[in-house]
Order: sequence, then structure tokens, then C-alpha cells
Amino acid sequence: MKLSNEARDVLETSMRQNRVSAEQREEIEAVVAMLPEDRVLLYKNVVSNPLGDLYRYSIHIRIQHMLTFVTFLTLAFTGLPIHFFESFWAEPFNSMLGGVNITRIIHRTIASVMITSMIYHLLTITLGSWQRIRAGTFDIRRTIIPLPKDLRDFRADVQYFAGKRTQRPEMDKFNYKSKIHYFAAAFGNGVMILSGSTFLFPELWAMILPTSMVAHWQELMRLSHPHEALLALLVIAFSHWYNVHLAPGRFPMQWTFLTGKITREHQMEEHFLEYLRNLVEVPAERKILQDVLESRELVDEAAGRKGR
Amino acid sequence: MSNLSAMLLLWSALLASAPAMAASMPAATPTPGFQDNEGCLLCHKYPRMGRITEDGVLRHYYIQPEVFSRTVHRNVPCRDCHVEINELPHKPIKTGVTCNTECHSVKNPATGKPFSHKPIVEAYRESVHGRNKLATGTDADKPYCVTCHTNPLYNPAELAPPKQIIDRCTLCHEDRSFVTRWYNHTSRRIREVRRTSEQIVALCSTCHDDQRMVERHQQKAKAESRELGRKFPIAVESYEESFHGKMVKYGFGAAANCLDCHADTVNYYKSVHEIRPSRDPASPVHKDRRAETCKRCHTYADQNYAQLDPHPSSKRGDNAFRYFAEMIYNIIGYVVITSLVGLSLFETFGRRRDGVGWRLVHGSSWWRKSKRGRDRIV
Repeated sequence: MKLSNEARDVLETSMRQNRVSAEQREEIEAVVAMLPEDRVLLYKNVVSNPLGDLYRYSIHIRIQHMLTFVTFLTLAFTGLPIHFFESFWAEPFNSMLGGVNITRIIHRTIASVMITSMIYHLLTITLGSWQRIRAGTFDIRRTIIPLPKDLRDFRADVQYFAGKRTQRPEMDKFNYKSKIHYFAAAFGNGVMILSGSTFLFPELWAMILPTSMVAHWQELMRLSHPHEALLALLVIAFSHWYNVHLAPGRFPMQWTFLTGKITREHQMEEHFLEYLRNLVEVPAERKILQDVLESRELVDEAAGRKGR
Repeated sequence: MSNLSAMLLLWSALLASAPAMAASMPAATPTPGFQDNEGCLLCHKYPRMGRITEDGVLRHYYIQPEVFSRTVHRNVPCRDCHVEINELPHKPIKTGVTCNTECHSVKNPATGKPFSHKPIVEAYRESVHGRNKLATGTDADKPYCVTCHTNPLYNPAELAPPKQIIDRCTLCHEDRSFVTRWYNHTSRRIREVRRTSEQIVALCSTCHDDQRMVERHQQKAKAESRELGRKFPIAVESYEESFHGKMVKYGFGAAANCLDCHADTVNYYKSVHEIRPSRDPASPVHKDRRAETCKRCHTYADQNYAQLDPHPSSKRGDNAFRYFAEMIYNIIGYVVITSLVGLSLFETFGRRRDGVGWRLVHGSSWWRKSKRGRDRIV
């Protein structure tokens, strides 16, 4: 495969940051040359361990996800039955835990756990990035920060789904979908914490805001909290759970949230540029890739002509 | 028949019929007290006693003595309140009982003067609800004394006074019926037989939630070019939208009911009869007094806190900000969910075109035939 400029840049940066030797560079270049031009054929033909092949999420991220997962669902299922108290489905949820007098305490307590998890996460990503910057291995393209490339990727991906392109775009470690989801969740959590604090400390908020804003702020927060909760729950249920459980290729479940590893086929399909970095960082992966390509006779013609 | 056998027959007949005789005698009145010295009960004890007025209203003209003798007016002779009765049979009544009558018989033991509800009645007349007993037009919508005060039993939570307490008092005061009456009189006040928050809200809502009543008053106010309270038309509906309303309705715990804000806590039992409109500076919900009213429960409330609306609504006329905020939120909600679900479906169809399926078979999900001829090499 002849790498695109973008992919070439990613590969070069990775090789420089990892200080690869000349021999290793040759090896990497050789295996990259063997990749077929048609990436679809590539990821269709690899063999993946459903539990994951390539490292993606650190233990901190996995813990934070688990915390968020548990606290979010607990908060939703204690909070929404309070808001929709008169609905038929709310009654069993409320009485199951002993009535609203108890669920409201659980709700507030778990909220503080969620806030702690959020702070833990902010520390992880700040300190982690700082560590990488100091080590010279920081690459903004590997972060969750939205970049103009994501817009280009979104457009190209939509064209692929519509049948106008033959391949998906080369996306990086966090593609546009991950970034949308991350910031939706972050924003949602932020709104929930802010509006929740307005419920818990109304006098404090009334004291610090200008008089003309006080009533409007409370009203807005009073609307936001259940709205955002419901929206978040729907997003999680219909978008997130769809993507990790129901989508073809992920069904019945993705194990990444536990193992921290992503399957080879997923990485190649949706995070190809990160796969190139995997080839640099994980020497064993080059061997595995070479074996697959050779056994399925997918080796690129150009590379084949070079006599490999 | 011999004398002896006749005697035996008579006695056995008497003995046999004793239970039947006992049953047919009227039950001994258990509670002492209701004295019908003037024979009113001759007619007025019959439960069917009554008439239907010209307006089609059924009026009851009877009392049940055993119930009445356990109410707070137990001691009051009939004509102390029904002052218009002067002869038997009595003439048709014009006004009837008004609660500012002075009782002839019942004296206030503290002052020696005849007992009367006059101070309350006069205070009430100055309030926003004040009216005469016979009122017309929108005044008739206002509650009269008997709308809320229905001559209750001493203490409905107590079926009978606690024996231990009565026994103890009777030790010195000797007369059990005197002690029982005294106990009843004080237990009602000490045990704080106040309406619950739910009952208060229900009571106020009987009128303030009546749309037709509200409209009548709005029309009258418009005709007289005066303003009603801003929240008057939506009082109950908006209260039920609020945190206070929800807590009271769902029984979560103590939260403000109507009187907790609209009446003063100082001399509460008088002030609930002195409710003023919110534009009156004496009202606890007047804008100058609102912060101190909120402070009764919300200790750290200040002037800013008093800006919060305890009668919130999303009606465009009442709160345009909230109306539009809610509308925008709803739109955003629908748009976000629809786009996300739509995008997921779109993505699924796009990827399926190249042969992805729903099984992780032999380490790959791409086992289906692709529409573009790029199949997995098995």
C-alpha cells in the first residue's frame, strides 16, 4: 500500500517518537508496503480475538468508565422515578429501594461518587498528557481533542455509507464518533452537576448570582436536570449501547471496557492511523500481519514485485 | 290454674322476656352533657327533618345528639346561636346563625364575659376572604366560617379519652364527667389538631382550583378596572408544579402549604383568618416581606432567594423565559436522539454493504457476502 500523506506523517512521527533503529524501520516499511490498497479486504480477512488484540485503554480509563457506568445508571434509575413520580413505571423503582426518602439520599451520594470519578478522569488526562509531553511522545492526533480532520472524516464516512466511496476514511485513535460521544457525555455530566448543585444549594446560588438572574437560573436548572438526564439516558441506550452491543462487528459485546484492548479488525476499520502506530510500537504485530497477508494471498502486487 | 303455677308462669315469662325488653329500651346515653332544656330535639332529632330550598339546595334540620355531645359546641344551648328563634313553632328564619353571636350561657372563665367568636369574625371580615353570611355575586364565592369550620369532634384521633389520665384527674376532681369534658377541651388544643398540609391544599383548592370561580373574579376585576394577583388564575396548578407542591402531594415530608406562606406564623390561628392579597404590605408574600417568609424554613434565604418563584409555570403569559427554554430543550432532545439513531442506522446499512454480520465467527464478523465482491478469503 502506498500510504497517504496523512498516514505517512503519522508513521514518521511515531517512528521518530519511538526512536526506532534503522533495521526496525526497514521491517516496518516492508510490512506496510505489503498491505493491500483495499483496506476493506484487509480488515475482513484478519483474525481477531474477541477479547481484544491491541492495547487501547489504560487501567485508569477502565476504572473511570466502570465508575461512570455504575454511577450513571444508579443516578438515572433513582432520579427519573422521582421526577416522573406519577408514571406507572416509577412506582416499582421508588418502592424497590424503600421509597423516595431513601432514593433521594442514594441519588445525592452517588452523585458525589460521579463527581469524584470526573475529577479522577481530569487528573488522568492532564497528568497523562503532561507525562507524554515531557517524554516527547505527545501527539495531538491521538487525543480526544476535536480537530478539523474529524469533520473531513465525517463527510467521507457518510459518503462511504451512502455508497459513494469504496473505503472508509483513515481515522485516528479517537474518530469523530468517539469524540462526539465523549463531549456529549462530558457536557451532559457537567450540566447535571451544575443543575444538581442548584437543587442542593439554592441559597448559595441565589447569593452569588445577580438578582435579575436568580429566578431564571433556577428555572433553567430545574428544566435542565431531568431533561439532560433523560437525554443522556436515551443517548447511552440508543447510541452507546448500540455501538458496543448491537452493531454488526461488535455484537454480542465489545470487551474493550474490561480488557482495555481493541480487536484488530476494529482497529483497522475505524482507527487505521492508530494501527500504523501499533505496527511501530508492537513488533509482534508486524509478524502477525505478515502471516495473515501471506496466508490469504493479500500481499500488495507492488510489494510482491519487490521480491518479498 | 293454681296461684303458685300462675306465679311461676308470670315469673318465667318475665325472665324470658327480660333480654327482649332490655333490647327494646333506648341505649343509655354514653356521653354526658348535651342538655336539651327547651325541647328543640322534640322535632330536630329526626334524621329526615329538612327541606329543599327555592334554589334546589337540600338543607338538613336535624342533629344527632350522641354525635353533637362530642363536638366542641357541646355545651352551647341551641338558642345561644339560633338567636332568631323566639317561639314554638318558630317562624321562617331570615339570616340564621352568624358566628359573631355572643353566647348567653357560656362565659369566658378568664374574663367573665359572654364567650364569642367576634374577634375572629371581625378580623376575618377585613381579610381578602371577608364576607357576610348572606352574600351575592362574587362575594358568595368567598368562604364563610362554616366552609372550613364544620363543628368537629373533640379529637378525631382519640376514640375515647385515655383511661389513665381520666383516672388520675378524677382522684381529686371526683366527677368523672367533669374531668372527661375538661380533658376533651384541652386535648384538642394540645394535641394540635391542625389540618395536614395535604388537607390545607385540598381545602384551598376547592375554590382556587375552580376555573369558573377564577373566571368570574377575573371578569369582575376587569369590569372594575382593578388588578388581581399575578398568580391568582394559576394558583393551584402552579403550586403543584413547584417543589413544595410535589413534596406535599407525594407525602415526602414537610414542605410549605398555602398557609405557611400566605399566613403569618405569629399568632398563626388568628392570622389564617387575616389573609391579605400579595399587593398588601401586611401580607407575608408581599415583595418586601417575602425574604423573611422564606427564612421560616430556608434559614439562609436572602432578598435574592425571594426572587425564586414558588408558583412556577411554563405558560407563555406568565413566564416567557421558561416557556421558550422548555420549547428549545424539547426540540434539542428530539433532534439529538433522532440524529444519533439515524446515524447509527445509516452506518449499519453502509457497513453491511461490504459484508459485516452479527456474529463473531472464527475471529471475524465479516463473514457475509459483500455486495461489491470483496469477500473474506476463508
